Amino acid sequence: MSPDELHDELRSVARQVLGKADPDLAQLAALGWLGLEVPAGLDGAGASLAETAVVLEEMGRAATAGPYFATAVLGAGTLGMLVPTPERDDLLRRVANGDCRLSVSLDGESGFVADAAQADRLLVVARDPGGDPFVLSMTAGDAEPRPVLDATRDFARVTVTNVGERWRFTGDPEAAVQRLRDRAAVALACDSLGLSEAMLEATVAYAGVRKQFGRPIGSFQAVKHACADMLVQVTLGRELVRAAVEALVADDPDASVAASMAKAYVCGAAVDIAGKAMQLHGGVGYTWESGVHVYLKRATLNRTWFGSPAEHRRRIAARYPAMAQLSDRSVSFP
Amino acid sequence: MTDLEDFRATVRDWCRAHVPAGWRAAQTGVADDEFVAFQQAWFQELRGAGYAVPHWPAAWGGGLPVPEQAVLYQELAAHDAPRLVLAFVAIHHAASTLLGAGTDEQRRRHLPAILDGEIWCQGFSEPEAGSDLAALRTTARRSGDGYVVNGQKLWASWALHADWCLLLARTDAEAPKRAGISYFLLDMRTPGLDVRPIRQATGDSHFCEMFLDDVTIPALNLVGEENAGWRVAQETLGAERGMTMLELAERLAHGFRWLVAASPLDDPVVQDRLAGFECELAGLRAVCRNFVERADAGRAGPADASIVKLHYSELLQRMTGFGAEVAGMDGQSVLAKPASSGWESGAWVLDFIGSWEWTIPGGTSEIQRTIIGERGLGLPREPAAAS
Repeated sequence: MSPDELHDELRSVARQVLGKADPDLAQLAALGWLGLEVPAGLDGAGASLAETAVVLEEMGRAATAGPYFATAVLGAGTLGMLVPTPERDDLLRRVANGDCRLSVSLDGESGFVADAAQADRLLVVARDPGGDPFVLSMTAGDAEPRPVLDATRDFARVTVTNVGERWRFTGDPEAAVQRLRDRAAVALACDSLGLSEAMLEATVAYAGVRKQFGRPIGSFQAVKHACADMLVQVTLGRELVRAAVEALVADDPDASVAASMAKAYVCGAAVDIAGKAMQLHGGVGYTWESGVHVYLKRATLNRTWFGSPAEHRRRIAARYPAMAQLSDRSVSFP
Repeated sequence: MTDLEDFRATVRDWCRAHVPAGWRAAQTGVADDEFVAFQQAWFQELRGAGYAVPHWPAAWGGGLPVPEQAVLYQELAAHDAPRLVLAFVAIHHAASTLLGAGTDEQRRRHLPAILDGEIWCQGFSEPEAGSDLAALRTTARRSGDGYVVNGQKLWASWALHADWCLLLARTDAEAPKRAGISYFLLDMRTPGLDVRPIRQATGDSHFCEMFLDDVTIPALNLVGEENAGWRVAQETLGAERGMTMLELAERLAHGFRWLVAASPLDDPVVQDRLAGFECELAGLRAVCRNFVERADAGRAGPADASIVKLHYSELLQRMTGFGAEVAGMDGQSVLAKPASSGWESGAWVLDFIGSWEWTIPGGTSEIQRTIIGERGLGLPREPAAAS
């Protein structure tokens, strides 16, 4: 099978499974998703973020709750960047097999750590006295739940009370932590892309059947044009996500910028799209029962988590002074 | 080095040796004939290198793969090369029409001529047929071996300098409006044709109106079947939109660097606006490449062309508007932009005013949104338009 066919197959299975219910840890392991990026020698599939991205997009589409993001995206992602030790390898194997639920804090003691209250094991990125990041691997300890409006996500405050094992990053630890942040940003962009697609499809379907003034509301330009704008945003967003995933997989030097572009644009657009979906569903869209609010809340959380669009745009703009010097055309332009 | 990097290096060397130094200053405020001569000379330079019509099939002098085309346009933009403004309709719209629906004879007659500098314009819109193009009233009446055409056309770009015109005219007044239109190739030297320039919002006059009074077109110059002109126009021009956008998106991306250079970067609000544009540009460029590759493979989506046109034109408008905003009063005092420059020439206020030339012609943004909604998403048509 070609990579494209593989992704299509994965996507089709994911859509079917996630459309029914949120899979638990054992089901995720059985599907092979937890070990996608775990090396084949450690019971994983030895795949890459490109495959994880397919699952993430489908989870956004279905507004899936559960351990995947914390355990596989953040957890396995972090472990994959550490100096291999028998303990680390054992943990990766347990992740792939669904025997261990992980939670990761990239910011030491932190107020909002995904799945910290449910995790079996906690990975905390801390800094040594010299300021270099390392990973503290701990059995789950004190975690104070921090309920959020997005009911599909679980957060808790993490305080480091027990001293666990200290694990080192391979290579430059700062670069490794930045790469983990980039991964998280792109993972959320995948999620927001999927939920945007779901909201666009639901809105188009509704606008095609809901009649007012004797005609489907989708035949009115005000509604039709709003849907067209949603499709343009989704189309651009899909390309930005694809570029960011490819750049991260290839470990491209510009991957961090590509990640910020995807995060800033797609997670921002997803809130517009889910908001417009609620608007175009009218009174029905504002009801709890319609479920549109689930997507709007998830989109709003995705937009903030791992850096707001404005924060990511600030990172993108850090390149501009150098770019301005290169493009100074006062000499050539009258 | 990969083949693509090799190609980039070759184009770079070529640009350094061939882009005329100081052309911007020399081409600012020039008379039409000087502009035409400059355009024709630049076209032949590009042709000599094989860069004039990279998107044409290899058999006709093109055949560059899409990734190479993107690199070519990037490098031409990066070296601030003049744009092929005058040949635009010839190498894109005329060529795609001839390749898609023309006879072998029509192709043999015109494609080599275009490479030799034949200029084309487009006679589609009319005073009473703008967004509702299919309501066009210009008639073509069958007479012997040809047609006799009467009517008025509007917004024919560079028609005063054109040798040929792509013309839509009604051949069946009784048929439903889209089913009674035919597509013609009109020789601009034909008697009965009167072309007058229209002064635009920018002060320039490259758009023209055309009055056709018993203008004769030989039947050999009919493209496709009689009364199939609407379908021919839809099929041949839609995919072409992606090709033109590939170049324009790369130009806009380079214009972004000038915008950065012109902006007060110590202002975080300015930085934020710029970064927002850059994200959209990155998305647009990737969408254009993706669409062109799909069109090449015969898998163009029904709304692809509208999506890129809509987003390009509105992004151009917002970016040039921002340029006008940061350029201050100095920007207001730039009274002329270089002929042959891109839509983002650095004369930000004029660029901004000129950007409506993208949000209105070729199907307004409103029409594009309707197309995207109906063809891209399958939303129901408006009752009045459904007939």
